[in-house]
Parts: sequence; structure tokens; C-alpha cells
Amino acid sequence: MGLESLAEQAEILLRSRLCNPNFIFSIFSSSPDSNYSKLKYMISSSVTEACNNSVLLLGPRGCGKVAVLELVLEDLLKEYPDMISVIKLNGFLHSDHNCALKEISRQLCLEHQLLFSKMATFDDNAQFMVSMLRECGLAHKTILFILDEFDLFAQGKQLLLYSLLDAMQSVTSQAVVIGISCRLDADQLLEKRVRSRFSHRKLLFLPPSREGLQRLLEHILLLPTNSSFPHEYVAAFNDKLLKIFTDVKFKETVDNLSYCDSTVNHLLRFLFSAVSHMDLKSGLLSLENFKGALSTIQRQPKLEALKDCSVLELYILVCMKRLEAKEQELRNFNSIMKEYKSIHDTFPTSDYYARNVCLRAFEHLLQRELISFEDNRGHGQSTEFRPVKLLISWPELYQGLKSYHSCPLILHKIMDREG
Amino acid sequence: MGKEQSPQVNRRTTRSSSSTTPNSKATGEGSKIISNTKSLTVNDLVLSDESINLEELINSFPHRRMQILELIKLLGPLNSPMIPLFVYGGASTGKTSTVLEIFKHLNRPFIYSSCVTCYNPRILFESILNQLLLHRKNESNGYSSAKRCEKPSDFVNLLRDALSTLIDSLKGDLGKSNSKKSASQVNGKMIYLIFDNLEHVREWDKSSNMLPFLFNLYDILKMPEVGVIFISKTSLDTYHSDTGYVEPFPVYFPDYTEGDLRQIFLKNQSNPKLYSSFLDAVLGPFCRITRRVDDVTNAISPLYKKYCELLDDTGVIPNKDMKSELYRHINPYISQSLKETFHVPSQPTLEASASKDKTKRKGITKLGVSESFDKMDFHMSTCAKYLLISAFLASRNPATLDASLFDSTGGAGNQKRKRKSSGKSMEQKESKEQELLMKGPGTFPLERLLAIFQCITSVAEYSPDDEDPQIDGQGADGWDSGLMSDVLLQLSSLCSSNFITKGGSCPLEGAIRYRSAVSEDMALKVARSLKFPLSKYLYRT
Repeated sequence: MGLESLAEQAEILLRSRLCNPNFIFSIFSSSPDSNYSKLKYMISSSVTEACNNSVLLLGPRGCGKVAVLELVLEDLLKEYPDMISVIKLNGFLHSDHNCALKEISRQLCLEHQLLFSKMATFDDNAQFMVSMLRECGLAHKTILFILDEFDLFAQGKQLLLYSLLDAMQSVTSQAVVIGISCRLDADQLLEKRVRSRFSHRKLLFLPPSREGLQRLLEHILLLPTNSSFPHEYVAAFNDKLLKIFTDVKFKETVDNLSYCDSTVNHLLRFLFSAVSHMDLKSGLLSLENFKGALSTIQRQPKLEALKDCSVLELYILVCMKRLEAKEQELRNFNSIMKEYKSIHDTFPTSDYYARNVCLRAFEHLLQRELISFEDNRGHGQSTEFRPVKLLISWPELYQGLKSYHSCPLILHKIMDREG
Repeated sequence: MGKEQSPQVNRRTTRSSSSTTPNSKATGEGSKIISNTKSLTVNDLVLSDESINLEELINSFPHRRMQILELIKLLGPLNSPMIPLFVYGGASTGKTSTVLEIFKHLNRPFIYSSCVTCYNPRILFESILNQLLLHRKNESNGYSSAKRCEKPSDFVNLLRDALSTLIDSLKGDLGKSNSKKSASQVNGKMIYLIFDNLEHVREWDKSSNMLPFLFNLYDILKMPEVGVIFISKTSLDTYHSDTGYVEPFPVYFPDYTEGDLRQIFLKNQSNPKLYSSFLDAVLGPFCRITRRVDDVTNAISPLYKKYCELLDDTGVIPNKDMKSELYRHINPYISQSLKETFHVPSQPTLEASASKDKTKRKGITKLGVSESFDKMDFHMSTCAKYLLISAFLASRNPATLDASLFDSTGGAGNQKRKRKSSGKSMEQKESKEQELLMKGPGTFPLERLLAIFQCITSVAEYSPDDEDPQIDGQGADGWDSGLMSDVLLQLSSLCSSNFITKGGSCPLEGAIRYRSAVSEDMALKVARSLKFPLSKYLYRT
């Protein structure tokens, strides 16, 4: 096999690893103190002892809550093949009570090879769910309800939560409710009657520590030795990678990355970019890949938008800044035009444009989201009269003007004077 | 599972359609049309039959080499999974066309939907499902979609089914026809979903979770054979969400610089040297206003015609003297055109220039712009015109002045004795008036509008012209009552055509307040057509 096709295959392997959360978080399942083992113990004990239970998995987005849960479920389904059935709901899709019951019935039917009718009414579905719970309880089969985006279920009247948790209170049913949320106060959102039926178990998922990060990097990026790749290639690849990991600059890059966002998802996106830019001729990852990936993932959108602005749009932004500095209350297009005129009366230049041209530039700025209207309700008035506010700060504007490659001197003078 | 029928669209039969008898000619045509639309296959998910290679692709998009290579690297080799991408940049920077051309080059199947044409969730879902299920809306199925889908939960289930069937058929195709590979064969077994104009989704139902749902779609589906690409005009930080969402990977398309624009315009020109000297003169001033390709193109294309006027032969290569002469010729037109930038010529100007009828217009015809007429260019009834003027006055003047301006003589005698005010108070008054002007038109209740209207029309002289032919039989009183009876109707039609906007009601008084939305020029035009002395009634110090 040629080196390029080997490299391509390696790239495909790494990319599929990066897009597969189950693989990523399987490394965290080994230690006995991890969330994985706690969760596994809890669910398996409620399955074997035939009791009801509920738990919340909380943590910022991208820390592996769903992935760890999937790993636990995989193992449990292997261990207790016929004793578990899983129902998955998502807050984005099923926060409405009707939708949720319909989906629960559909999944129950799918699992038990029953016919599901789309015409079933809400009452039918509710009765069906209750009777299925009872039947499964009698057959010693546990139903696991997984509620993703749990905080969205807790909006409104919380009917679904109440009916689920209430159904669990009866002796015959055997169910476990697992809620997953990125809001750390998700249990505070519950109503009193729902909360009283909820066992206050919470598992907290946190971003990995430095050592964990190092282990994670090795777990993801090192090619497996017992795979179909030729041995020399794998050895060369892994050696180069291990050398990079010990490099100071690489450590700085990874630290820089985790200063703003230390979740695993962020790291995965960084690695994805680095792996996609792998040099196919040499077939090895290099430090430049990682450094390049850092700059593509850390963007400064407002400065980019400022660089895209034309000179007239910069004038408008500086006029708005001056109005803010003067503490004028009325800041709309007309007052900006007045300020623009006064600048040109003091420093006459060729950059004085007609009002309709300035209005168009103003609308371009609105599109770029460098300025926006102050309130959303004033749709009755035309664009010239509605008050606007700046969406960039003073230092950003200053920095943008400094790096703008043909910025007129007047603007620099004004900015310096404003301090 | 019950069999699902495609939703029946109830179509109203119009009189014409029910009256035409299907004769043999029509049915012949109809059957020909039906037989022309063959059913869609997977090959239709790929753009066109010819493929282009990488060099052609990069050359067709000057100055986008970096972005094209970045996107191709992120899309990766065939059949490798991908995290969601987010392509963003200003308007007309080539995001959509670049992405589509890249897919044409790679020959991979994709589903494209724009959030401008699919303006609510239901249409978006149905459009995607139609494309996935290879369903075409035509006469035989009554122009209905393949599946009816309103809620995200149904959408995800149907999407999963449709994607898995499509991917299975792709895998089957790959296995079968490995021996012969035609150019139109799709590559790979991954399907890419492209969502264009994503910034419009922010204005859809604000309380819905549409945006986080779309961003999390890849995670919810959990299918590695699907790739998701978002295209947006604004960057990711302008998408706010309470609890956040999974962030896609950003790819930025910067605006073109002046040098880039010059290269873009020089492409495919018949006489590059002449055009380049033209651009030397013209591009600089316009780029100070805007660097958007479409705006600059609209502005400079009429100027080029003007530039080449002096030359007999447009194939000539200009030397230095010719260049300076041409520059002097074009200079006044540039400064004029700068005031009118972004104006696309309207139809009357094109017709006039085609017929070369210059006698109607006086003065220099502005390039590509229709002259602003002193007259109104559309028709309004007299009552509506008076209402419009009353609304303008009510918005413009503060309410306290009404008594003095509109007395029983119709305001004609408002030349009261003016107290001589000191210079400082005059200045203060002027600045206050300026502020009032800048703040915009004020609101007024219905009663005030009708009072002003009544006052104005009672003294107006009615000149019977061709406007209201049916009233000429009645006298002045009859005209008055005829005018008053449909005032409220006229008011509601003015509101619906946005000459007057209806505001919210004041919580204390509970009445609806209106606001005039016309500019002073427009009001002057209307007043002039009625021979109404508008300036006498305007609030001025």
C-alpha cells in the first residue's frame, strides 16, 4: 500500500474516532471511582433488586454524560439481556406532553413488536403506558426512561415528569428515570409534587483534569498496534506523536485551548481540525497541524467583521462612539448623520457621502451585527429613527482601526483624542 | 404500523378549470408532460453530469483558494465522518456557490435547503424529506409533499428512516456497479445536509427551540454517515441560546479586498488593459463606500459604457495620454454616481434610453437612475391624500399647537403677533426643533387625526377634476358627507399599505395611537397635487 493511501486510511480512522463519543469516553470507564461505575452500579442494583429509582446526570455540554450512559447501557444489555428495555426521549423534540406520550408508546411498541397506530389518542397512549409499566413490572422487566435535556421537560406544567414519577410509586412497576441536563440546578426547576417523588441522586460530570487530558490524547491519537496497518508505519506515527506530546510548545497550545473552554468537545474539535490537515505525503502528524488548528478554532468574529468594513462604515462606527462619549441620549441614524457632518466641517475630506449612501452603509452594519436596534418592538418606525446601540467595545474598535490597512488618519486622530 | 397516505391537498376548483373540457389536445400535452418527469434517482442528489477538477474549481473562485482547500480538507476523504461545519461571512462573499461547487467537484450526494425559501419549520422539514425520499411535487400527486411533518419529533423519526434507506441504497449501488463507473455516479455512502441562510431561523418563533435543535441534530441522529453544514451571514456568537448548544466548527469567508475585486472584475473581459485602466479610475472611490461585489458591479457597469463613449474601437489598448483623457471624461460622472450608489435602474429609464427620447427630460440624465418626479407616480383618492397630509401634520407638530394652527378659518390666519425672542431662546428653540425632527414622527390618537382632517377639508377648495367622477352631481355639502363616510375605510387601507403605522395602545388611555410613516418629500408631493399649502402648517420657529 502506498504511503498516501495509508495516511488516508489513518486519517479516516482518527476522524471516525473523533466523531464517536462512545470511543472517547470509554477511557474514563476503567477507574472504580468514576461516574461510569457509580451509574452502572446504581442501575444494575435497581434491575436486580426490582426497585424504582431516579437519577440526574449534570454537567456542562460536551463532558460525556450521554456517552457514559450509552456505555453503561451497552454493558448492562449484555449482562441482563432480557430484563431491560430502554425508552429515549429528548427535550428538544418531546417537551410537549402529547408528543412525549406518543413517542413513548411508539418505542414501547417497537421494542415489543406490537403494532403502533398513529391515530391513537392521547388517552389511549397514556393508558397504554400505564398498562405496559404494570405488565413489565409483573414480568420483572425494568424500563429505563432516559430524558435528555431534562430542563426542557421541566418547563411548563411538568405533566410528563409527574406522570412518570407517579407511575413509579406503585408497587408493581419497575422503572428507572435518568435525566440528563446541562443546567446544574435542574432539580431546582422541579415542582414540589414532582420533587417529592424524585430521589435526589445527582452525578456530576466535569471536564477532565490535566492528567486525564494527557491520557485522553494518547487514547485518541495513537494508532492501534494490532490493526491492519503495517507495523513500521504505526511505530513511526506513534513515536512522532509521543515526541510532540512532550514538546513544551504543544503543552502551551493545549493549555491555551483549555483556558477558554476545557470541555472534551472543544478538544475534539481542535483535534479534528489538526487531523484533517495531516500531511498526506509524510503520513505523520506534526506540531504545525496543532498550532494551525488552534488559530482556526479560536476566532475573534468582531475583529474579523471590522476588517471587512469599508471606510464609510468605519466613519459611522466612530461617530456612534463619539455620541456615546458625549452621553447623548438620542442615538439614531439622524443623530449619527449630524455628528458625521460636524466631523467633516472640522476636518474636510473627500469622504463626505450623500445621505442615502450612508443609510445603505448603516444597513450593512446592522447586517453584520456590529450595531443593532435597541428594542425589538419599534417596528413601526423606519430605520432612520430607531435608536441603535454599538455591539463592539471601545478597545475592540480601537484595535480594529489600528489593524485596518488603509484607515484614514482622521479616524485615528479622533480615536486618540477620545482616549 | 398503519399505512400512511400522502396528505391530500384540497384544491378549490376555479370556474375556468371546471369549465374547460378536457379535449384530446390537452390530454396529449398532459401525458407528454407527465412522461417527461421521470422519477428521481440517487444520481439527482449530485449536481450535474460533468465533474470539474480542483484547478478549475480554484480558478473559478479567485481569492478563495484557502477557503476551498480548508473545506475540502474538513470534508475529508471519501466515507470519513465529519463534525458539523459552520460557514460564515458577509453577504455575497461566495459561501453558497463555493460550497455547492465543491460538492460538484467531489461528486458527493447532498441535500440543500435554504431557510429563506423554507420560512417555517414545517416547510423546512418537508423540503428535506422530499429530497431524501426522491419525491418530486407534480400534478399527479397534487403538488403535495411526500410526508406531512410539523413537529421536530416526527421529523427526526422520518429523517432517520429516510436516511437509512438512502444510505442502504447507496451501499447497494456501490457494491453492484463497481465494475463500470460513469461520471455521474455518486461518490461514497455519506449524505450531507446543507442548511443555508441560517440567520433567518433566529427570527422564527422565538420561544421555540429550533436553533438548538438544528445545531444538535447531528448528535440526536447519531448516524456517522451523515454530515451537516450550516451557512450563515453572521458569526456564531450572534446565535444566542439560554442553555447553549453543540458548537459546530467555524470556517470564515472574509470580504474581498480592493485588489481581489480588481482581479474578479478583470476576469473574462474582452479588453483587459482598457478595463484595467478604467478600474484604476473608478474602483478606488467606490471601495471606500462598500466592497460588496454585487453593489460595486451595479455601480460601475453603466460607468464603463460612459468610459468607452469616446473610443471608436473598444479593442484598442490605451496609452498614457488616452488614459488621462478618458479619466477626465469619466471623472464628473464618478462623483455623480457616488451619490447614487446601490441604485438598480428601474424600467422607465431603460425604456427611455432605448427609445432615445431625451426631450422629455431636462438637465443631465443621471446614469442608471430615474429622475425624481415632482409629481406623485401613483394614484390616490382625494380623501386618502387629505388623510395622509393630516397624519403627517399630526405626527410632525406637537399637539399643543393644534389650536393655534387649525382654527375655524382653516389655519389661514395664523399670522399672529410674534413676540421678539432673544437670541439665546431662539437657539434653544431651534435645537429643540432639530431634536424633535431627529427623533422621528410622533404618535397621535384617532380623534386628533380626524379633527385635523375635518379642519383641513372644510376650507379646501374642491376642484372637480377627473378623480371622483361620481360626485360631480352633488353640491359641496354632498361632497363633504361623501368624503367623510369612508374616512375610516381609507384610514385602514392607508394603514395596511404602511403609510400610517398603528402602534400599541397606551395603558392609561386605552386608545390606539397612530404614527405617520411618510417622508417630508412625499408629503410635499401629495400636498402639491392637491394645491395644499403644507408649509404654512408645519411647526417651525
